[in-house]
Amino acid sequence: MTVLLVIPMFQNVYYSFFNWNGLSAPVFAGVKNYVTMFTDRVITRSMINTALWVAFTLVLPASGGLLVAVFVTGVRGAGFFKSIFFIPLTISFVATGVIWTYMLSKQLGVLNGVLAYLGIPLQPSWLTSVPLNTFAMIFAWTWQQLGTNMVMFLMGLGTIPRDPIEACLLDGANAWQTFVHVKLPMLAPITTVVITMAMVNSFKVFDIIYVMTRGGPYSSSETLAVSMFRETFTLFHLGYGAAISVILSVIVIVVSAAYIRRMTKRDLLYY
Amino acid sequence: MRTAVRKIPLYAVLIVLVALWLLPVASSFLVSFKSSEDFLSQTWAQLPTRFFFFQNLANVLKNYRLQNNLASSLLYSSVSTVVVIICASMAGYSIVRLRPRFNFLLFLVIYSGTLFPFQMYLIPVYRLFNTLNLYDTRVGMILVYSAICIPFSLFVYRGFYTTIPREIEEAAKLDGCGPVRSFFSVFLPQSLPPTAVVALFQATWIWNDLLFGMVLSRQEQIRPIMVAVATMTGYGGGNISWVMTAVIFTSIPTILLFIGLRRFFIQGMVLNVSA
Repeated sequence: MTVLLVIPMFQNVYYSFFNWNGLSAPVFAGVKNYVTMFTDRVITRSMINTALWVAFTLVLPASGGLLVAVFVTGVRGAGFFKSIFFIPLTISFVATGVIWTYMLSKQLGVLNGVLAYLGIPLQPSWLTSVPLNTFAMIFAWTWQQLGTNMVMFLMGLGTIPRDPIEACLLDGANAWQTFVHVKLPMLAPITTVVITMAMVNSFKVFDIIYVMTRGGPYSSSETLAVSMFRETFTLFHLGYGAAISVILSVIVIVVSAAYIRRMTKRDLLYY
Repeated sequence: MRTAVRKIPLYAVLIVLVALWLLPVASSFLVSFKSSEDFLSQTWAQLPTRFFFFQNLANVLKNYRLQNNLASSLLYSSVSTVVVIICASMAGYSIVRLRPRFNFLLFLVIYSGTLFPFQMYLIPVYRLFNTLNLYDTRVGMILVYSAICIPFSLFVYRGFYTTIPREIEEAAKLDGCGPVRSFFSVFLPQSLPPTAVVALFQATWIWNDLLFGMVLSRQEQIRPIMVAVATMTGYGGGNISWVMTAVIFTSIPTILLFIGLRRFFIQGMVLNVSA
C-alpha cells in the first residue's frame, strides 16, 4: 500500500520538473512546467472554473445542507423529506452526470421543457455556453451532495442541548435570533468539517464534468482535475500533468490546513 | 395554530426542493421506459406508448456488452473489499495496540487516501503498472482499488479499536494471549460494525469509480462498469433511452445495498466526511 500510494506521491513531484511524453527519456525542465501553467490560457480558464466550483460549493451544497437540516427538523414528516434528499447519494457520479445531461439537454431536456411549459421564452443551451455550463454542473453536484451535508448538520443539531434554546425563547428571542446566536455558534465544529470537506471535494470533482461536457466545449468547462487528466492521458504531457496535480494537491492541503492541524492534535491524544 | 401558520413558508420551500430532487429521478425512469421513437416524438412528460425498458436493456447488453464490465466490476468490488478488510483490520489493530513509532508515515498514508486528490498518483501508478505489466489486467485493478480504499478503512478500524477498553486485552494477555491470538479471539469477533461500514462503503466506491478504471485499463473485458457507462455518452449524450437504461440497471446493486443497510451507510458517510 505504501508502494502504491506514498512513494508515487513523491515520484509525482519529481516528474513535474520534467518535459516528458511517456515514451522518450524525460528531459529536465526545471520549473518551466509551473511557469507555463500560469500563461496557458486553457489552464487559467480551468483555474477560474475551479475557483467557481469551490465558491459555489460553499454556497449551494454546504449552506443548502445547513438550511435543509434546519428546515427539516422543524416540520412534520421529517423522515420523508430526509429520505428524498438521500436518493442521489445511492447513485454514482457517472449516473448523476448522465441524468443531468438529459435534464439539461437543449432540445429534449426536461428543464427546457419545464421552462416552455411555464411560458418562459428562454431555451438556454445549458451545457455548451460558458460560464453557464459550469454553473449547471455545480447544480448537478449540489443535487447529489446536499444529502451528505444535511446528515452532518442534522447530527450537529442533534447534539445541541435544549436548555440554552429554551432560555433564549423565554427571553423573547424569535426563531431566527435563536438560530444565529445560539445554534450557529454551537454548530461551529461541524461547520468547519463540512466546509473543509466540501471545498476539498469540489477540487476533486472529475466524473461529473467528464460525463456531462468532457471539459468542453474547447476545454471551457474544465477544472484542474479534468485538465490534468486531459494533458496527461490524451495529450501525453506527463510532466505538465504532474505539475498540475502538484498544484492541485498543494491548494487542497492549504485549504484544509486548519482542519488537518485539528485532526492531528486529536490523533495525538491516542498515543 | 400560529406556529402552524408560520411554518407554511418552511413547507413551501421544502416542497419546491423535493420536487426539484424528484424530477430528475422520475424523468430518468420515464426515459428508460421509452423506445427511441417515443423518446424523439414525445415531450419529456408524456408517458411511453409501450413499456420498453426490457427491450432497451436487451439492446444495451447486446450492443455494448455491459455484462463483461458488470462481471469485472463485481469481481473488483468483492475481492478488493475482502483484501481491504483483512489488511485494514490488522493494520488498525497494530496501530492502536502495538504503537509502532512511525506516526508521520501513518499520517501520510491516512491523509493520502482521504484528502489528497487522486490525480496525484495517477501518473506514477500508470508508469509503475506499465513496467510491472499490471496495466490493463484484473490483478492490477484489484491492487489499485485495494490500495485506494485502505486509508479510509484503516481510519474506521482504528477509530473503532480505540473504543475497546484496554482492560479486556490485558485480561487476555494475563490468560496467555499474544498479540496475534488477542487480535483473532478478542478484537476480530467484535468488529462487525466497522466491517459492515467498510465493506458497504468500499464496495460501493469501487463499483462507482470512473477515474482509475479509465486510466488503468483499456480492454473491454477489464474496464469497470462505470467507465463503460461513461463512454456510452457521446458529446451529445448518445442514445439517451439506452444510456439511461444502463444507468438505472447498473445503479440497482448500490441502491439495494443502500436500502438494505442504510444505518451502516449513513454511519460510513459521516465517518467519510469527518475522516
